[in-house]
Amino acid sequence: MIQTRPYEFMVSYTPQTQWIEKGGVKLWLAFFFIELGAGMFFVASIFDNLLAMSIGWLLCAALGGGLHLLYLGKPLRFWRMLLSSGWKTSWISRGLFFVALFLALGLAHMVSVRLGARLAFLRVLADAFAFLTVIYGGFAMNYVNGIPLWNTALLPILYVVSGLWGGAEVTLGIAVGSGAVGVGTGVEEWIRILLVGFILLIPVYLMSVRYTSSAGQVSVRHMVLNKWAPLFWIVVVVLGMIIPAMTVISSLLVGLEGVSVALLYAAIFFGLIGDLTMRYLVLRCGMYAPLIPSSSYA
Amino acid sequence: MRWGMLINLVKCVGCYSCVVKCKQEHFLPPDVSWGRLLISETGAYPRAIKRAYPVLCNHCKEAKCVDACPTRATQKRDDGIVWVDADKCVGCRYCLIACPYQARTYYSEEKEYYPGQGLTAFERLGRELYPHQIGTVSKCNFCMERVDNGIKRGLKPGVDREATPACVITCPAKARYFGDLDDPDSEISIVIRKWRPTRLHPEFGTDPSVYYVAG
Repeated sequence: MIQTRPYEFMVSYTPQTQWIEKGGVKLWLAFFFIELGAGMFFVASIFDNLLAMSIGWLLCAALGGGLHLLYLGKPLRFWRMLLSSGWKTSWISRGLFFVALFLALGLAHMVSVRLGARLAFLRVLADAFAFLTVIYGGFAMNYVNGIPLWNTALLPILYVVSGLWGGAEVTLGIAVGSGAVGVGTGVEEWIRILLVGFILLIPVYLMSVRYTSSAGQVSVRHMVLNKWAPLFWIVVVVLGMIIPAMTVISSLLVGLEGVSVALLYAAIFFGLIGDLTMRYLVLRCGMYAPLIPSSSYA
Repeated sequence: MRWGMLINLVKCVGCYSCVVKCKQEHFLPPDVSWGRLLISETGAYPRAIKRAYPVLCNHCKEAKCVDACPTRATQKRDDGIVWVDADKCVGCRYCLIACPYQARTYYSEEKEYYPGQGLTAFERLGRELYPHQIGTVSKCNFCMERVDNGIKRGLKPGVDREATPACVITCPAKARYFGDLDDPDSEISIVIRKWRPTRLHPEFGTDPSVYYVAG
């Protein structure tokens, strides 16, 4: 736990703690599962994989939504976020609408697929709100202009890419496990593109934040050089990017069927861990600039 | 009408009276502070300068917290005071994160000032007169109860003590001013024109209502 001495609070760079320490861990996991689940639904619906759609829906509803509610100080008042006019300006309120509509429309779409109806408009709406569910967390954090690490247009893009990539990975795992090879091959192409996007976006995101302000510079230094560097380089880069990238390259060479199942599932697992860890670091390293002048810089 | 405050850092002696008085006035629980005193050191020996900075909610004209609140628990009054309706607060802490001045506090659990020794008379009285809800966010409200009651009684906030925020009237160095920023004849407006104070981090675009005069 980061301990800020009284002399440092708001005089030095102050890390945000509410959304990552103690109960804040729930919010970190909530954002991850909501975006993973919605991303999974989005990808699976394009490839018509009902099993993956269902699991994505459940992840979003039960884990993502449940953890969000558990994080609230007054969870029984959550309905106020829907009935007040908060949606006009608040990304948390908008997010709840997106999630609620995604869950409702997603369920309706899955039922229609199960019954063989396949209503195109329902699928389009469900997918649209799934996409909005994936992206709203990034915008909620992007709104916070006091934390330069978050206040960048690249953050929502990064979260969309990682949410869809994670969703595609798990969908691939389910497709391979259930023998839906055709689906697996199609999803694998998505993964190639999204993984490249994820690998390119991370350094671009960090470098752009580094040059915005001193608080941004300090945040990035904490992540890649100082206290959290081992977590970044080992878990995010090596496990979360390099191992999946090696798996993608081998599948390009030998085809998806030629890749060992163990390697495939290991790549999926490490990819998810890398994504989860990157989200942790973004929350953990978010720093406020000193409120008042100080002689020391971190 | 727009209520504002000016803090003269040249006069501030860093006595913490404002912090303690605020706690007393609103019966704030442990770990909840609506006003803080930050100590800053700049330079090095032999030219080191130590400053005391009282900070509180800036009651911004373009308040990030108001837009961030998903339940409209955080509201902005017509007179510029930004306050939190605890009955509506859902405890998401988005306002706390969104505030670039970190002026808010989340009341996470009930604690005693003297653990294991029971509640003091102050704490018992506070729970009756000014209860705070666990699981909600709170912040400085410019003592709006004092301001509103004073106006009802025909008093003038910033001039009459009973209608002025507690931190302003308790300051032994008379370092704080409170008044209507939209009234060019109010004491605070005159002082602002005379001393040309600054505000914290104007680049955030929040248009704060709290001014600082530094030496």
